[in-house]
Amino acid sequence: METSRLRKKRPLPALLLACCMAGSSLLPLWAGQAQAAEQEPDTLRFVNYRDVRDLNPHLYAGEMYAQEMIYETLVDIGPDGYKPCLAESWEISPDGKVYTFKIRKGVTFTDGTPCDAYAVKANFDAILENRARHTWLEMMHLLEKVDAPDAHTFRIFMSRPYYPMLTELGVTRPFAMISPKAMKNGSTKDGVNAFIGTGPYKLVKVVTDEYAVFEANENYWGEKPRIRRIVVKVIPDNQTRILALEKGEIDLIWGKNMLDADALNKYRNSDEFDIALSKPTSTRQIVLNGQNPVLADINVRKALQHATNRKAISRGVFHDTEPPADTLYARSVPYCDIDLAPYAYDMKKAADLLEKAGWKMGDDGVRAKDGLRMELGLLYNSNSVTEKTIAEYLQHEYGKLGIRVSLRGEEEQSYRDNMKNGLFDMIFNICWGMPYDPQSSMAAMRQRVYGDYAAQLALPDKKEIDAAITEILSSTDEKRRQELFTFALTHLHDDAIYIPLTYETNKALFSSRLKGVGFTQTQYEVPFSKMYFEKR
Amino acid sequence: MKNYVIMRLLATVPLLLGISFLCFVFINLIPSDPAEVALRIRQTPVITEELIAQTRAELGLDQPFLVRYFQWLWDCLHFDLGVSYTNPARTVLGEIGRCLPATLELAGLSLVYVIVLSLPIGFLSAVYKDTWFDRIMRGFVFATTAMPVYWVGLLLIWLISIRLDLLPTSGYGSFAHLILPAFTVALSYISTYIRLIRNNMLENMREDYVLYAQARGLKQRAILVRHILKNSLQSCVTAIGMSIPQLIAGTIVVENVFAWPGVGRLCIASIFNRDYPVIQAYVLLVGVLFVFFNLAFDILQYAADPRLRERKA
Repeated sequence: METSRLRKKRPLPALLLACCMAGSSLLPLWAGQAQAAEQEPDTLRFVNYRDVRDLNPHLYAGEMYAQEMIYETLVDIGPDGYKPCLAESWEISPDGKVYTFKIRKGVTFTDGTPCDAYAVKANFDAILENRARHTWLEMMHLLEKVDAPDAHTFRIFMSRPYYPMLTELGVTRPFAMISPKAMKNGSTKDGVNAFIGTGPYKLVKVVTDEYAVFEANENYWGEKPRIRRIVVKVIPDNQTRILALEKGEIDLIWGKNMLDADALNKYRNSDEFDIALSKPTSTRQIVLNGQNPVLADINVRKALQHATNRKAISRGVFHDTEPPADTLYARSVPYCDIDLAPYAYDMKKAADLLEKAGWKMGDDGVRAKDGLRMELGLLYNSNSVTEKTIAEYLQHEYGKLGIRVSLRGEEEQSYRDNMKNGLFDMIFNICWGMPYDPQSSMAAMRQRVYGDYAAQLALPDKKEIDAAITEILSSTDEKRRQELFTFALTHLHDDAIYIPLTYETNKALFSSRLKGVGFTQTQYEVPFSKMYFEKR
Repeated sequence: MKNYVIMRLLATVPLLLGISFLCFVFINLIPSDPAEVALRIRQTPVITEELIAQTRAELGLDQPFLVRYFQWLWDCLHFDLGVSYTNPARTVLGEIGRCLPATLELAGLSLVYVIVLSLPIGFLSAVYKDTWFDRIMRGFVFATTAMPVYWVGLLLIWLISIRLDLLPTSGYGSFAHLILPAFTVALSYISTYIRLIRNNMLENMREDYVLYAQARGLKQRAILVRHILKNSLQSCVTAIGMSIPQLIAGTIVVENVFAWPGVGRLCIASIFNRDYPVIQAYVLLVGVLFVFFNLAFDILQYAADPRLRERKA
């Protein structure tokens, strides 16, 4: 039977489409309701890619920006050095072993508990109970005891002097102060009962994986923030975040990996949105594994340095949102303002270096020496879009020199496994950033925890570099310390083991109504206290 | 009938055991040490060998594989799915309980979309075969099957939320938040079912019983709806039954794009974070759903279709 026989003239399915359209016209009603609840004056709608998680300040699993909002430390790290925070002032004994802090009077936690020297002592006791977790801070090995002789005096006794002591006390964790009432029987290592600090904001609500609400701390001892309420939404997808900003559902996107350069570039001349870029926070680099037989030749490493066009990467991949990097640490990093001659982009020089070192060009366009072909792997984190783009660019560039580069992207955790175990020829890496650079990240070079250890292992001067780093940490003489940093950084630079690419920056994209958006010394701190909305 | 149901229910026990064991094996084959990854996820700055050993002991990862499996199975039978490796303050059951309702809402509305849209469109496409309507719908089916969900989701946000300013871009809360993600999930299923219904209808139209019905002088409308559509829907019902667990398990990408706090996002995060207990629980959940829906729809069909019962007898 023919189907056409069944086909008579009937009202065509336009009816259906009409129904769908009628239904969709009701949608704005729902949508309107949802939005009305979100838009209150003096509320800043911020966004993050994941939940605030566990904000226990003595452990590491929470979002740092949120911990910075709620908690405070004894000292702050400002652009010109240390600033008083919960400690009004401090004294260091002449032998550098006893730190005496005068605790600020009248400060209370948001639950009403006074934040006096006893509360500080309770915090230190809780932190020291879990000492093994914090041994990445060198001071943990040297701290002998703490005491609180009266309500406003707190003392730390060290076995040896240790210069980055105040910096380590100033980093968000583990030395931020939580209300002793929020601890579980005086302990924090197995979790806390509530997230209660002394900071400018307090946490009032969290809906896991959806949003968190912070409100200004009415009793804050310092300058009170102008924005009274902050709602942090969780939007994991980069593109959706930008669409939410466009729609006006959020006011601010802020961070290092929250925005890609292409998206940022699109808003460069926008009237509705503004962009802000921080000073360098950390260095994006490629680590060369000195144990690889090809890379063991310092001439090869230097040739790779000269063959890397950092300016092109900064412009082409990052649209100038990350400046080209000349050295392992930016000059703005403490102790790193030293004169090191950058490896200038010079393909001819790179080719000469290889030629002189005996790496002869083969018929297939790949150099070789004593039967060893110049074939290297470049490992990148496949979750990072930019690393792949840079890798492809470098593959092409290095190829011109007769170096065959094969690219391999691995999911983040296996990428990190490979890095730690030295299973790479060349690998992308980002240094720790402020305030951990240079002291903490260099201290970690001495252990097999990151790629640095494996990469440096075969260097002839590895022992000297490690010895210098060890001496730096206990040196009390500022001049000697600078000498040692200069020594270690110069050796690492001359060894050409790190190819610096760009200086990573914090980036912000925000509604142009929002003013005062900026950055601090600590890369994870979002300075909400300085932000405000322009009056319409 | 009773025997059939009992037999089928008994058969699910070894099936679920097999699923859980295989899942345990495969999860353990994922590279990277879960204890070390848990420390990284907890953002421990310097992870020493001692710390890894300590964490392995805390998480019970220092036990041999089979001991761990049977321990897990034993706990499972007591409704204890363990705690998350990356956040030991959270139980796996609590996490699934927190995320599942959102995913069920999403899958539920998607199912409504699938049924409400594909049934009439498939039906009309068959009835009006080769007209402009059928051609447009075939084009639609072709295009939506080919488009990746991620991209469709972003396009919909751009069009509906930004350009037309009708709905919120993402998030969870009101019914308005649900419309776009549910439609995105439903889209590829809608295409599949439109095609399935259309083809089944066209096949049935060629059957003798249609000719016979016409000879009996039945109205066209009655033939189409009561005979052809009814017969065409049979295989669709089974397919839809199997689609329900697929809808629940297939929301991962959409949940990520629309910031939807469901089990899909939980699952993807736990895979990246090597959070074994959560992955294991998710796989078990999806396994149970598939087995259950398969069983339920088999029984339903068995009860509804006299031919099946006769054949069995």
